[in-house]
Amino acid sequence: MKNASVAKALWDLRPGEAATVTGFGDTLSVSYQGRVMEFGFQPGARVRCLLNPGFGAPRVYGISNSVFSLDREIATAVFVAVNNPVEASA
Amino acid sequence: MRRVLLLGSPNSGKSSLFNRLTGLSQRVANYPGITVDVASGPMVSLTDTELVDFPGTYSLEPISGEEAIAVSFLNEALADDNVCHVLCVADATRLEKCLHFILQVIRECQRHQKPVTILANMSDVIRDNQLQFDPIGLSEALGVPVISVSARESQGFEPLVECLRDGASPSMTTVRNWRESPNEILRGTAQQLAAKFSPKGDVLINSQLRLDRFFLSTALGGLAFFAIMFLFFQSIFTWSAPVMDAVESLVSSLGQAVVPLIPNKIIADFVADALFGGVGAFLVFVPQIFVLTLVIGIMEDSGYLARAALICHRPLRVFGLTGKSFIPLLSGVACAIPAIYAARSVDSPRQRMMTYLAIPLMPCSARLPVYALLIATFIPGDTVLFGLVGWQGLALFAIYFFGMLVALLVTGFVSKASKNKQSEQPFVLELPPYRLPTAKPLLRNAWNRCQQFVTQAGKIILAVTMVVWVLGYFPNSGADLGQSWLGTLGHFVEPVFAPLGLDWRYGIAILTSFLAREVFVGTLGTIFGIEGSEENMLPLVDHIQASGLPLGSGVALLVFFAVALQCVSTVVILAREGSTRLALSMLLSYLVGAYLLSLLVFQIVSVLF
Repeated sequence: MKNASVAKALWDLRPGEAATVTGFGDTLSVSYQGRVMEFGFQPGARVRCLLNPGFGAPRVYGISNSVFSLDREIATAVFVAVNNPVEASA
Repeated sequence: MRRVLLLGSPNSGKSSLFNRLTGLSQRVANYPGITVDVASGPMVSLTDTELVDFPGTYSLEPISGEEAIAVSFLNEALADDNVCHVLCVADATRLEKCLHFILQVIRECQRHQKPVTILANMSDVIRDNQLQFDPIGLSEALGVPVISVSARESQGFEPLVECLRDGASPSMTTVRNWRESPNEILRGTAQQLAAKFSPKGDVLINSQLRLDRFFLSTALGGLAFFAIMFLFFQSIFTWSAPVMDAVESLVSSLGQAVVPLIPNKIIADFVADALFGGVGAFLVFVPQIFVLTLVIGIMEDSGYLARAALICHRPLRVFGLTGKSFIPLLSGVACAIPAIYAARSVDSPRQRMMTYLAIPLMPCSARLPVYALLIATFIPGDTVLFGLVGWQGLALFAIYFFGMLVALLVTGFVSKASKNKQSEQPFVLELPPYRLPTAKPLLRNAWNRCQQFVTQAGKIILAVTMVVWVLGYFPNSGADLGQSWLGTLGHFVEPVFAPLGLDWRYGIAILTSFLAREVFVGTLGTIFGIEGSEENMLPLVDHIQASGLPLGSGVALLVFFAVALQCVSTVVILAREGSTRLALSMLLSYLVGAYLLSLLVFQIVSVLF
């Protein structure tokens, strides 16, 4: 077994899934990129998708002891890497 | 007077600290961005020092109106020679979201040569959850003093007060210069400091996740939302009913005891009709304002309000609003004026404008006396389900729901008509931890709101009822109200209100209510007081029932008051926060809309019943 890193958008994380922030997409304005970084969504930070609430509401993410809700526009522009255990090839 | 600035990230407990240090009652809630204006007051321990509470902000690079105000005020304040110290509040349990702001504040203070101290709040939560926090290490890393405090338990204030009293910060072994550091450097430093000094683990998240799974789920969360809203409206009637009855009895008994003691007939008539009839009729509804403010406070303090904003986001976007509009809209249920200020927290100017459009349609507490009066006139006070659900509460729920529905339809229509996707901003919101509401600040806040309501609206009501009484009493000493000056004026405007089935007395009351909606009750109280006999001071509801007001007219009145913008103060604040054009166009369009809708409703109800 070894770990393979899978790159995806924060929005694609399933509830309970954790990942490491790797960067930001161009679609996110500089001011909002700065804001989410101030919240702790910095490259290298460990983030966990906590909930996918009802009513199509923005998703809920946890960083350390803080909880934030981000909508699709922001969460699709935050890139993360998920470490998935995969079978080693023969 | 020396001034000390109190800054901090939203939801860091800054306003709670302000209240503890000043003994004042700045509004506190467990929701980011509840302080939208600057408050100040002398410190309890240092009476020569004024503490200034700024709106919470995550950064000195603002993205919302409230943050722009905080930054603008801060720049002005730092140039003020009277400012002797800056206190920056951080939530010690969530340092990672505060450190960038802290570094920015230290940099600006160093540039202006102002001493700064970091107050690491929530030391009680750190202790209770056995988290590790190193204030000394953080202090060394930042180069400024860090004091652990608990606003909730009033702990850790002694070193702070000593520091402010001496006018000198504790000596630092390490002095760091942040003056020339750009934001990028500060952001990187904040990340490193967060990794080193933030309490490790996510124990606090896990404890609130179970509640979030319930309150944010589609089925149970939706049910909980509607149940909470339903109980909210029921409580306004059922919880306050005993106190309302007591106030009504007290006003009536006091009137019957005092009026006979006044020898002069004109003064006696004035006291009976204008004071006890007019102002007294309005005072009866103050307990409902208390309950309304208390219940909203409980929702804010518990942390539920942020969750409600979250689950409302998608539905509200359909109508051109955002989840962040939910808080100003719910505040609008208490009063439109703080709600308009609260709309500063909406990032997008367009969505903020839509929020402005919706706020005056929220069923504010000034409408409550009018609604309560008309509902009590037509709906029996019976209850079902062991007294938990009353027909009057259901009727209030319906008219409140109607106001909100109209608000959504208006913003939905305007939004669709002026579609501009570019101006919408993404949604990002901090979800504060759930907390058990504390009774004392909630009760104090509700009490203050009642005092404010009575003193502000009471002055207008007293002035209007005096004018109405003079016009209604003379020239025939109250012998025939129809032939009085008021009657002459009323008959002149009667054709406007006749299509709604309303006679001139209601027309006059509606006209006076454009100063403030609750004046309607005081005016009617005065008019019926002049008409009624001196010996029999009936409650206003009995007078209206005896006047033969048709059901259709009663419902039309409810609809008219639900839609019309009858509040001078709201128009002025809308002009200040939005624009004069916006305020005047809203005043006119809501007035025309209210009249046409109430006319339609009167016709329908008259045909059906």
